[in-house]
Amino acid sequence: MRDLYEVELEELESLLREEGELVDRAIRGALNALARNDLELVDELIAFDDEVDRRYLTIEQGIPSVLARQTPVASDLRLVLAILYINLHLERIADYCVTIAKLVKLAQGLPRDAGVLEALEEMGERGREMLSTGIAGFHSRSARNFEALVEMDRPIDRANRKLIDRLIALGPEEAQREWAMRMILVSRCFERIGDHAVDIGEQAAYLERGRFEEFTDASHKPPAK
Amino acid sequence: MELIKTKIDVAGQERLSMSERETVFEARDVSVFYGNQRAIDSVNIDIYQRLITAIIGPSGCGKSTFIRTLNRMTDLVPSARLTGKLRYRGIDLYGPGVDAVEVRRRIGMVFQKPNPFPKSIYDNVAYGLRILGMKKDLDDRVEKALHSAALWDEVKDRLKDSALGLSGGQQQRLCIARAIAVEPEVILLDEPASALDPIATSAIEDLMHELKRDYTIVIVTHNMQQAARVADMTAFFGLNVTPEGSREGILVEYDKTEKIFTNPSDSRTEGYVTGRFG
Repeated sequence: MRDLYEVELEELESLLREEGELVDRAIRGALNALARNDLELVDELIAFDDEVDRRYLTIEQGIPSVLARQTPVASDLRLVLAILYINLHLERIADYCVTIAKLVKLAQGLPRDAGVLEALEEMGERGREMLSTGIAGFHSRSARNFEALVEMDRPIDRANRKLIDRLIALGPEEAQREWAMRMILVSRCFERIGDHAVDIGEQAAYLERGRFEEFTDASHKPPAK
Repeated sequence: MELIKTKIDVAGQERLSMSERETVFEARDVSVFYGNQRAIDSVNIDIYQRLITAIIGPSGCGKSTFIRTLNRMTDLVPSARLTGKLRYRGIDLYGPGVDAVEVRRRIGMVFQKPNPFPKSIYDNVAYGLRILGMKKDLDDRVEKALHSAALWDEVKDRLKDSALGLSGGQQQRLCIARAIAVEPEVILLDEPASALDPIATSAIEDLMHELKRDYTIVIVTHNMQQAARVADMTAFFGLNVTPEGSREGILVEYDKTEKIFTNPSDSRTEGYVTGRFG
């Protein structure tokens, strides 16, 4: 039955790969909706989340079945567990994209600031890059330096700081303040997307190295290279 | 826009819609007695076409007794008696005028211990065909059966050699080839891998998965993990101790294998599959 087992593992991973591609498109969609202030795209993006959720649920249901029926061990077990966690992270990222879409909708008609939007775009693009690094590392099982994800997270933090400065400088008008608050939440979403990407990298590293390490956390420094 | 809907492929997750599956066996209140002793009590079960159905349970729960009723092997035990109704494709298997030999041609069986005849590999497979008069294209039929049993490549150059020279795993696949040569509709496997090493076991399990395309398979196994790996449906048989102290096998739970191994409905099943009895 090992043939069938291999197929089941491959299918779970290929669903995860699809989910990753969809989530990348969702981030891109969120960035475009934000940049173009595109309400049509906002609605499309919200509906698109169902596509991600379908993969998410299929994987979510497939994993207990593989665990119960095939009793995976060693690298197979790590693979199944990594898929389980990455699946959760991807689904969360997609939800953040939906939140961004909704915030774009809520910010309709409010005065926009190009500098802030630029900083948000920077954050989103870095998030996408981090996600693709984590996901590609996972699927290729390549001995990459996943800790680099932590480095990639820095520009996000920098853009976030820049963004706060710009927002404070926007001025006291109510419409401006409302827009600023919406954008703070957008920035929070992009920041969280980066964090989930780091966690995906941790899972990829776990699969390869056989031990789990948290790359970074507020309470401690990243492990020495 | 860039967010084009994609089609989802729910890969690998075999959707078992029972209402759409044809029922091959229908057991209604089937009890089997050996003399006065009841071995299994009132089993009700539907076995579906082209699925692998596993029967699991502790020793003495009547698993083997039950599977043997499916092709009237219990007839061969003089004291054995069956009550209730057992229908095969709607026909009462134990009804008047049913030819037990024909039943066993349509419903083949492979046993725990590989039991090839002390004949050549070829003759083992050809044996049933000759007896049943299926002599046309004999070579082709033998080759086809050996192919189906995933044994052809290993034996094609020594068909005239004694079957007893094969390894245990090969002998078991030969017995499967012998069973499928006569073109049955159902294959019953009674602990087919319990005498084999893990590699030979794995070969048999892969083979079962292949055979499922054409045959309905019922397997008795005391290896729960094997049932979990191979079966679509799993029946858990348990033991019931009567007030008089006799032990009878009963069907405790029957469901999709995934359900049995992730969330069984009966606490006795849960106790058995988790290894926590009682």
